[in-house]
Amino acid sequence: MTDRVESWSWAAGFHATWSVEALKLRRSVIARLITPLLVGLVPLAAIGAVALARSPALPGAAAAKFLPYATGDLAATHLLVVGQLLSVATLTAGGFAAAWSYGREFSDGTAGALIGLPAGPATVGLTKALLLAGWLGVCVVAAIMITLVASVAVGGEPGVLAWRNAADGAVAGLLAVGLALPFAWVASLTRSPLGTIGVLIAIVAVTQIVVVLGAGAWFPYAVPSLLTGMGGPQAAAEIQPGALGLTAAVAPLAILAVVRYWRRLNDV
Amino acid sequence: MTVLELRAVRHSFGGQPALTGFDIEVSAGEVVAMVGLNGAGKTTALRALAGRLRAEEGSAAVLGHDPIGLPARAARHFGQFLGAPLAYRELTVRENLLAAGRLHGLDRAGVVGAADVAIERFQLAGWAGRAAGTLSAGNWQRLGVACATLHGPRALILDEPTNALDPAGVVIVRDVVRALASRGAGVLVSSHHLDEVSRIAGRIVVVHGGRVIGTLTPGGTELERRFFAMVLDADMGRGEA
Repeated sequence: MTDRVESWSWAAGFHATWSVEALKLRRSVIARLITPLLVGLVPLAAIGAVALARSPALPGAAAAKFLPYATGDLAATHLLVVGQLLSVATLTAGGFAAAWSYGREFSDGTAGALIGLPAGPATVGLTKALLLAGWLGVCVVAAIMITLVASVAVGGEPGVLAWRNAADGAVAGLLAVGLALPFAWVASLTRSPLGTIGVLIAIVAVTQIVVVLGAGAWFPYAVPSLLTGMGGPQAAAEIQPGALGLTAAVAPLAILAVVRYWRRLNDV
Repeated sequence: MTVLELRAVRHSFGGQPALTGFDIEVSAGEVVAMVGLNGAGKTTALRALAGRLRAEEGSAAVLGHDPIGLPARAARHFGQFLGAPLAYRELTVRENLLAAGRLHGLDRAGVVGAADVAIERFQLAGWAGRAAGTLSAGNWQRLGVACATLHGPRALILDEPTNALDPAGVVIVRDVVRALASRGAGVLVSSHHLDEVSRIAGRIVVVHGGRVIGTLTPGGTELERRFFAMVLDADMGRGEA
């Protein structure tokens, strides 16, 4: 019950929605888990995996598994591993975050309360997607930077190959961010966070099958991992610019689908 | 001026009729109460009116606009408390009020004052810094009604706004509704509490079988008897048809 500001614009609505959604994300358990996982645990795992690979104490079976990381430039290997980890961890974390951000509005019953606001439900749907993408993108870049600093701290000397691996890791991580956005649409459509997690697990399983069948180079959900060399150098070399473009196109298409769904939000 | 309106609205869920030609109109400055048995269609009607449900037939209007895609200039003057409130358990009470104010179109400067007023009016000062998820059901409901009203709406929908409240909370909600109406707001409130609606409303409409079957005059000692008589007449009339 207060005086109003008479001017109102879409930008004002977007700004208000952004500030509220950012606060909800900051206060969420999922953001408090995922952020340290991506920017702390992933770089630590990359540094640790390379140290383990180069340890003479590593037993035979494990040594064979870590063999690709046992030799070569130290910093370049650190950044190769962090890129590989980010390609998987970011998709998984992003899928969980999207399931929470969108699905909770339905499971908590708050989706209906977001109807009839000046910004409109489509703006809410858009804002959530942009916020998730921005937050996860910052986490990806931070994880690579932290790995770079940590690598130098343990004796790595970043050269051309290291910077190329850092760039590939960043591209893979950011592509994985985009690949997480369709789960925002899934969460809206199913109106269920748990159902969305089920679809995420199914997509990961399908990706494994597609890669085994040899079609991974053109399957968006396989491209980030293959790009970082998880399928070996030959599989990485088979990733064409067209496949990267196709993978990058998933994010805007997902956002369009989410905004369309939220614009027509019904029966809430 | 009519601020809330449903005209000949029909809707069914899986072939089961929920609204069967629902008509209602609320004018500026008027408090209208909807009463009815469980499953009568009250909440479905309110959802259609709030733009949360696209009815199969008929029309709805909030401040003269279709609530589906309500224009921002009208949405800034609209409030609803219908099912789960516009509140989040991970935010504090104050943060929820600030968020609700911002989402309802208040600017950064105005929203702080509005949140302070709401905290005082709904007697939530003791919990202002606490996560809303730790509130009792009654205080959660106070917060929900506060979030729906702190921007001073001109059109307001309240669905069972007092069902979890203690007597003090009921009085607070009643005072808020009266204050809004005295400033020209049109309020449509659904409730099971006949005594309460009798105190708050200028007009009571009875909903049964997915439509409005009549109007009761508030006050008097025979309200409950008149309500049941009207419902019984409607059922008998349908049986004869």
